[in-house]
Amino acid sequence: MVESAIKLQSTLMREYYKYFSKYARGAAPDKKVAWVTAFTPVEILETLGMYYYYPESYAAVIAASNKEQSFLEKSEQCNLSRDCCSYSCCLEGCLELEEGPRGIPPKPDILIATNNQCNTLPNWWNILAQRFNVPLIVIDYPGESADKQQAYKYVTEQHKDLIVRLENLTGNKFDINLLEKNIQNSTESVYWWNKVAQALTKKEIKPTAIFDYISYLITQRCNLGTIELYQALYEEMKELPDADKNLIPIFWLGYPLWYHPKRYLSEFLDDFRICGSNYITWWSLDYSGSNAFEKLFSAYNYTFLNLSQKNRTERLTKQIKDSEAFCSVTLHNKSCKCDFVSAKDINIPQAELEIDMIDRNFLSLEKTKKQIDLLKDTLCTQ
Amino acid sequence: MNILSLSGFIPEQICDTVRFTGYSGNISISHYCQYASDYISQVLYDNSVDGAVFPKSCDSTRIIKSYLGETDKFVYQLPVPARIDEYAIDYFANQIKSYKQAIEAHYGFEITDIADRIETINRRNKELKMLYENLEMISYYDYLQGIHKMLTKPLMEQSTPQVKEKKSDGKRVFLIGSFLTSENVLNVIENSGFKVVGDNLPESGRLANRKPCEIAGDIYINIAKNILSSRLSPTQNNFSEIIKDDINEIKSKKAQGVIFLTQKYCEAYDYLYSVYEKKLNSEGIKSIKISLTNSEGSKKFELALEAFADMI
Repeated sequence: MVESAIKLQSTLMREYYKYFSKYARGAAPDKKVAWVTAFTPVEILETLGMYYYYPESYAAVIAASNKEQSFLEKSEQCNLSRDCCSYSCCLEGCLELEEGPRGIPPKPDILIATNNQCNTLPNWWNILAQRFNVPLIVIDYPGESADKQQAYKYVTEQHKDLIVRLENLTGNKFDINLLEKNIQNSTESVYWWNKVAQALTKKEIKPTAIFDYISYLITQRCNLGTIELYQALYEEMKELPDADKNLIPIFWLGYPLWYHPKRYLSEFLDDFRICGSNYITWWSLDYSGSNAFEKLFSAYNYTFLNLSQKNRTERLTKQIKDSEAFCSVTLHNKSCKCDFVSAKDINIPQAELEIDMIDRNFLSLEKTKKQIDLLKDTLCTQ
Repeated sequence: MNILSLSGFIPEQICDTVRFTGYSGNISISHYCQYASDYISQVLYDNSVDGAVFPKSCDSTRIIKSYLGETDKFVYQLPVPARIDEYAIDYFANQIKSYKQAIEAHYGFEITDIADRIETINRRNKELKMLYENLEMISYYDYLQGIHKMLTKPLMEQSTPQVKEKKSDGKRVFLIGSFLTSENVLNVIENSGFKVVGDNLPESGRLANRKPCEIAGDIYINIAKNILSSRLSPTQNNFSEIIKDDINEIKSKKAQGVIFLTQKYCEAYDYLYSVYEKKLNSEGIKSIKISLTNSEGSKKFELALEAFADMI
C-alpha cells in the first residue's frame, strides 16, 4: 500500500532537519557535512556517505517563516550589499544572528559551489569559506558556451577530482555502482516529479502545493523517500477534479515568492488559474548518457540557466504552449540576473513585475495591481 | 577589424581588440551593471565597432549575448574558468584556440603572429611594471588615463604612457576594484588629498604584475596559464588569495587606507568587499567603498571621500 504523501513528507523533513541546531540538542552529525548549491551533483556526495545542506533553500524557509527582514538588515550592517542575491543576504543574517526558524544548519566540513545557475553563488560560497575556514570547491560548468566534447572532458575531470577530494575528507571508498544507483534514484524522482508537476495544467490545484513540494527534488533527489513521495502525490492528484476552464489560464514565469503565504500573488489573480510554471521544471534534470559521468554531465552542464538564449526561449515556448496558457506573469527577479532574460523573447501577453523572491518589501503592490489589470484589459480586447 | 573587448581575460596575444573604456549609452537594465550595459550600447550603436568579445565570468557578462543576439556583428563569448587548476588551464587553452579560429573564420585571415605579440605584450607589461612601481612620483590620474588610451590602440602602436612627475604628500591609499572607466573619480581622489600608491585594478596593478608569458611549448597553454595565474579577479573564486596578495602590497607600500571603487550591481566585488573590509579592519587599515552608478562616473562621493581623508 502506498503511504500517504503527508507521512512521507514529514519523514523526509525530519531526516533533513535532524542536525539543525533547533533539533540536534548539541549532537554533532555522524557524517561529514557539505553545504552545496542547488545544482550540485549530490549523487557523488550521497555515494560517499555525506550529509549535504542547501543554504538557498533555507533562505526560502526563513522568508516563508516571515523572518527575512531582520536577517537582511543584519547582513547589510555587516557590509554585504543589499544589491546582492537575497538568498545570500538572508542566510548571512541568519548565521550572523545565530537564529532561524529551525535553528542553524550544521557547520560544514566542506563547501561546494557550482556556476550552472549563476556566477553569484560561487562568490557567496567564498564568503562562507571565509566564515567557516573550510575548503571550497567550485565546479565550473561551461553550459552551451563551449564545445560539447571540451566541456565534457573539463566537467568530468572536475567530477573525478571531486570524488578524490571527498574520499580523502570522508575516508570512504568510492563505489561506481552505488553512484549509478543514486543517479537512477534521481532519474526516478525527476520522472515522478514531472508527472506531479503536470497536475498544475490539468487539475484543480493551487500552485502553492507544487512550489512547496519541489523542495524535495532540490534537496533530496536521490533519496528513495522522494520517489515514494512523488508517487503518492501523483496518485492523490489523479483524484482531484479537473481544472476550472472558466478561469483564464496564466503561466507563472519565474521564482515562487517564498515570503508569500501562497508563494504567488493570489490576491491579484482571482480571475486566473496558474496552469504552468518554468521554475518547477528547473530540477527536471536530464540524466541521459551511457555511463555515470555522461549522465552527470548531461544533467548538470545543461541546467536551464546554463542554456543559450535561443534554447531557453525554445524550451519556455514549448512549456507555455503545453500549459495552454493565454498569458503570463513574468517576474524580473532582482536577485537573479541570469533569469532576468529568460522571457526576453516570449511572445504572449505578459504582466512584467519587478520582484525579489525573498524580500517582501521589494514589490510594489499598487503597481502590480495596475499591471495585472492592464493584462486583463489586453486579453479582453484580443 | 574593430573588435570591442571587455575584461582582462580576453587574450591580447591572439589579435588586436579595442578595450572598452566607457560609453554613454541609452541602454539601462534594472539591477544590472551599468558598465556592462554601456558596453552593450557601444557594440550595438557605435558603427565603428564591428565585433564584440567578452568573457563569461560574472552574472552580467554571462547574459550579454542575450542582449546582443540580434546584431550581425561578430559576437564572441569566451568562457573563463571559475576555478584555477590544471584542468581549468587546459580547458581555457582550448577556448582560446576556438576564439582564434572564430576570428579567422569571420574575418577571413590567418593569425600567424601570436609569438611576436606575446613578446610585445611581455615588453609592454615590463614597462608598465616600472611605471607602476614609480606611482609615488607621478599623478595617478595621468597614469591611468594614459593606460586607458594605450589599451584602445592596436598592440603594435601601443606605447607606455609618458607621465609627468608629480610628487605629493597626500594620504597614501590603495585602490581596489574592477576596470575603472570613471577617470574623473581619480581627479576627485587626488584633489581630496590622497596619494594613490598602488592598486589591484585589472588594467593597472593586475596587468603590471602579470608574469611574462612563455613562448616555448604549447602556446595556448602558456597564454591560458599567463592570464589565469596573474593577480586574481574575484570571479576566479579565490578571495583568500586576493586578500593575501593585496594586503601584502598595501603593507609594503605603507598605505594608510583603502578605497574600494565598485560598479553598482557588480556582485563579485560586493561579495569580496564584505569579507575584505573585515580583514582590513583586523589589520587596522581603514577603508571606504564607493559604488559608481555608471561607466562615466558620479560626483556623489566627494563628501564621502573628504570624510574618509579626515578619518585616516
